[in-house]
Amino acid sequence: MRNLFNFRNPEKSIATKLIIAIGLLISIVSLIFWYAILQKQKMDVMSIAVKYGGSFVNFTKESIHHSLLTSQRDETQRVLETLATPEGVRRVRIYDHKGKILFCSHKKSVGQIIDKATVACKGCHVDPGKSSELLQNPQRWSVYRENSGPTLLKIVGPIPNEPDCYTASCHVHSREQGILGFVEADVSLALLDEAVFKQGLALTAYVIVFVFAVSAFLGIIIYKIVSRPVSELVDGMAQVAGGNLDASVSIKSGDEMGVLAQTFNSMIRDLKAARDQREKWTQTLEAEVAKKTEEIQRTHANLMQTEKLASLGRMAAGVAHEINNPLTGVVTFAHLLKKRFPSDSTEAEDLNVIIEQAERCSKIIKNLLTFARATPSEKGKVSINDVLSRTIFMVQNQEKFHHIKFNINLEDYQFIILGDPSQFQQIFLNMFINAADAMNGRGNIFVSTRKTTESGKPYVEIEFTDEGCGIKEEDMPKLFEPFFTTKPVGKGTGLGLSVSHGIVKHLGGHIKVKSVVGKGTTFFVRLPLAEEAR
Amino acid sequence: MKKVLVIDDEAIVRTSCERALTPEGYEVKAVSSGKEGVELLQKESFALVLLDLKMPDMDGIEVLNKINETWPDTKVVMITGYSTVETAVQALRLGAYNFIEKPFTPDTLLAAVTEVFEKTNQGGAEDRDIKRDSGNP
Ligand SMILES: Nc1ncnc2c1ncn2[C@@H]1O[C@H](COP(=O)(O)OP(=O)(O)OP(=O)(O)O)[C@@H](O)[C@H]1O
Ligand SMILES: [Mg+2]
Repeated sequence: MRNLFNFRNPEKSIATKLIIAIGLLISIVSLIFWYAILQKQKMDVMSIAVKYGGSFVNFTKESIHHSLLTSQRDETQRVLETLATPEGVRRVRIYDHKGKILFCSHKKSVGQIIDKATVACKGCHVDPGKSSELLQNPQRWSVYRENSGPTLLKIVGPIPNEPDCYTASCHVHSREQGILGFVEADVSLALLDEAVFKQGLALTAYVIVFVFAVSAFLGIIIYKIVSRPVSELVDGMAQVAGGNLDASVSIKSGDEMGVLAQTFNSMIRDLKAARDQREKWTQTLEAEVAKKTEEIQRTHANLMQTEKLASLGRMAAGVAHEINNPLTGVVTFAHLLKKRFPSDSTEAEDLNVIIEQAERCSKIIKNLLTFARATPSEKGKVSINDVLSRTIFMVQNQEKFHHIKFNINLEDYQFIILGDPSQFQQIFLNMFINAADAMNGRGNIFVSTRKTTESGKPYVEIEFTDEGCGIKEEDMPKLFEPFFTTKPVGKGTGLGLSVSHGIVKHLGGHIKVKSVVGKGTTFFVRLPLAEEAR
Repeated sequence: MKKVLVIDDEAIVRTSCERALTPEGYEVKAVSSGKEGVELLQKESFALVLLDLKMPDMDGIEVLNKINETWPDTKVVMITGYSTVETAVQALRLGAYNFIEKPFTPDTLLAAVTEVFEKTNQGGAEDRDIKRDSGNP
């Protein structure tokens, strides 16, 4: 009930207004009913009292019939005195048509004239002064009250003339007389008063209880179906306004409140969904921005790296070029010296070693220059098997490949392709370095070549298989992207495969990958064979 | 006399050429820059110039162009490093007779030089050289 009455502005709440209005209505209606019932009861009681009063008057007439006929005045008086009691019949008297009291239970008032303004005369006569004019509906009783006493019923009964009266020997009454006199009784209604009063009290109590019960009942009903749902809704709205979109209103009723609550809940749900969507967008956007930023940073770092590598390559090329000059001297003079000795002499053999080693130096420099990509492309007929063998030979001498076994299976065929040998060397070198990196420098590399045809044209397929870590499914699409690398900065630039892909595509071929994470990777490089070579 | 001029900024290359060719009957003169080479060419004539592609003062290609313009009978063989193959190819297009890669053995050098004299200097060129030779001292 707290909410019902303490709710914001209590004097303005619907519940309060409703309760006041309905309470007022009920009170007024109850009051009207209360009054009507009370009146009706009074009338009922009164009509019973009148009925009994009438019987009493008749009984009195019967009782005194004989004594009147026999003119025993004392006897009549005595009967009347006996009939009167303080609680019941207060007074009973007989008076004639002129108002003179003939007998009375209060003996002292005998002979007095009655008050003509009372029902004694007014019961039948319009004007007690002119006895002839009669009321159309005579009411021969009235209720009155003597100061602070109980309610009294005054009832009058006429004593009609009858043969015994006007034929009696006393000749008091003539035959023409219609009414000889009246019996008037004053009956105390104290008991009835009390009963009515008690009933009134009870009724009042009932009405009050009823009003309260109905009001309380209404209050509860209103609280249940209006106030509480409304305050819940308001609470919910306040929560939503405060930003809590997890709020919901738990009104299950099937009425308008329930519908309102459901609509409200679905509105919150929509709001929440919208907000979640927005938050998700924001998050994805942030993540996207972060990713892009990282990519840019990485690309930048890689560019720097490439730049560094490129300048390193240029430097290496320059150094290599310079070394070629002294090497020329070494080779020339060794040869010159060798000519002075017989070819089977130890000196000649020693000089041969010098020459061989100098030539090895020159080879290393050539490979270094190839790797530094300082060699511009020149197109020519290239034998794939030759370039492969040369590259493998070159790679085997490097420390990185000391613990790697090469399993070579080249098809005995002259795979001639028009291109730059250094570019092929570059592709193969990158394959071997990637394989060695994936195997951490230990394991088997399988290299094979075979002839295939693709849409009717002859191709060479070069297969590189390693037993390395494999490539994750999610990395597959990015493999040939420039700068995609999983290797630490400084180790991989992520250019190897992208450059290879570029070269192979340019020549009309393609590269395919098969990989099982943890088992190994196979790259298939397919290149179309040159026209003349077919 | 088969006269060969070596233009190379590297002394060891010059010496190597001299030592490889002289015993085979060639008269070898060597200078260390393109400028000197051109100066010397103005004084005496050579059947063959061994020209280094990369030199500090005057680029090999420039010297080649100058020789082609001024002494069209003088053949030029370029000496290149591995990294300058494309330049060498360009040199061939510009009129060089051949090129050899550094480091070269005396035999490769000799083969290249011999080829020049055998294929082109069988007739008048040599004679003309001799005439000019004799006319100039
Ligand atoms: N044989 C392989 N096994 C496992 N992963 C490989 C293999 N080959 C390539 N990858 C993956 O593909 C990535 C890209 O290779 P790519 O050759 O293009 O660049 P890189 O080797 O990282 O750098 P770079 O070749 O420029 O030095 C590698 O970082 C590696 O994660
Ligand atoms: Mg790589």
